[in-house]
Amino acid sequence: MNPHGHDHARSPDAGDAMPSYYEIMETSVRELLVEKQLISAGEIRRMLEVMDSRTPALGSKLVARAWVDPEFRARLLANGRAACEELGISFFEDTQLIVLENTDKIHNLLVCTLCSCYPREILGLPPDWYKLKPYRVRAVKEPRAVLAEFGTVIPDDVEVRVNDSTAMVRYLVLPQRPPHTENFSEEQLASLVTRDAMIGVARATVP
Amino acid sequence: MTQTENLLQRLPTEMGGLDAGPIQRVEHEYAPWEKRCHALANVLDIHKIISTEEKRRGVESLGSEIDGALTYYERWIVAFANILFQKQLLTPGELAQKMDQVEARWSRDLQKERTERVRA
Amino acid sequence: MSEGLGRALKPLPNIVKAEREDPLFKAGDNVKIAMRFPIGHFRVPNYIRGKRGRVEAVIEPPAVNNEDEGFGRNAGVKRHYYRLAIPLTELWPKYGGSSNDGLRIEVFETWLERS
Repeated sequence: MNPHGHDHARSPDAGDAMPSYYEIMETSVRELLVEKQLISAGEIRRMLEVMDSRTPALGSKLVARAWVDPEFRARLLANGRAACEELGISFFEDTQLIVLENTDKIHNLLVCTLCSCYPREILGLPPDWYKLKPYRVRAVKEPRAVLAEFGTVIPDDVEVRVNDSTAMVRYLVLPQRPPHTENFSEEQLASLVTRDAMIGVARATVP
Repeated sequence: MTQTENLLQRLPTEMGGLDAGPIQRVEHEYAPWEKRCHALANVLDIHKIISTEEKRRGVESLGSEIDGALTYYERWIVAFANILFQKQLLTPGELAQKMDQVEARWSRDLQKERTERVRA
Repeated sequence: MSEGLGRALKPLPNIVKAEREDPLFKAGDNVKIAMRFPIGHFRVPNYIRGKRGRVEAVIEPPAVNNEDEGFGRNAGVKRHYYRLAIPLTELWPKYGGSSNDGLRIEVFETWLERS
């Protein structure tokens, strides 16, 4: 954006075409709010940088750290936000974080049936399927069938817990560490942790 | 519960308890304007100009037809406009005028770009 | 702090707390979600209304009712949210998975009754 807050960027898929009605609306609302000094262009720029710095890679590193450091793991499970802040992962406003440990007996998955709550401060923006109707309807009703569609089969003696966000608490699944990874470095371990494993629709596996 | 009460007591955005088909594993790369829209939401929440909860309620208020037809961030920006009007921070006239100006400005810039590309 | 860690173990005597500062429920309590049907905005999904569950944890600190925040209110008496455990068999009569499968969901104090 240039110093006046005007942004002449196009939508990437629009190419040479005019931006959509809604992109024009977004630009107009933003510029009006800046002109009225209710927000500043700098705040938007900075927020974009904050958002870009939060990706699943951050979550993978968090999980890998919890796998190798039992005391960090305990702190992460006791108070998710405080443990994240140890690693510099800041949170907005009153958001809290509960990290959900998957074990041999319990498999957690996340959903938001009312809107699209998601641990964005760690993982960044969610995939479309997480925000669309089929996942949000069926995750609370038939989680095992949903997991199976993702290729994840949970045995009957394992309890499935569906976590539906409604308030200021966000969740992150701490997947189980795959077996035979005792000699993996923390970096190698992080590469095993996918976004889908931290949502709980997949397990962390050695490829 | 009559049919019409059901329209009020169940929000169009609420998904628990319905029926749905298979999950399409769709993902898309977020367009710059969508990320800017999300950044705007976060900044508005920090200032409590539009809190996150107000945004949610604003999206719920769009009604099922608009909710079904618009994409995720399209719903957000329309909800923001409505809430800003209600709070008397913007007027519909101001927004309409600004949208005309922005569209005209982009149109001019695109035209300039096309002309320069032809010359190059 | 999600579990109230760090609270004083031995409170000093004669301190009167503001209304509603202490949670009404504690972990392990059996509760029922109210059968209420507000219009306009709510954060308790229809599918859990009237259902029974168990309090798994008290969320600290107390907070403003987020349903009120939907219309711009950001102050008022703060009360607790509770993380509830509700079996999926309680929610869905025809649930086909394990009877141990459950929902975890946060609900504001004003929606809960002792069960």
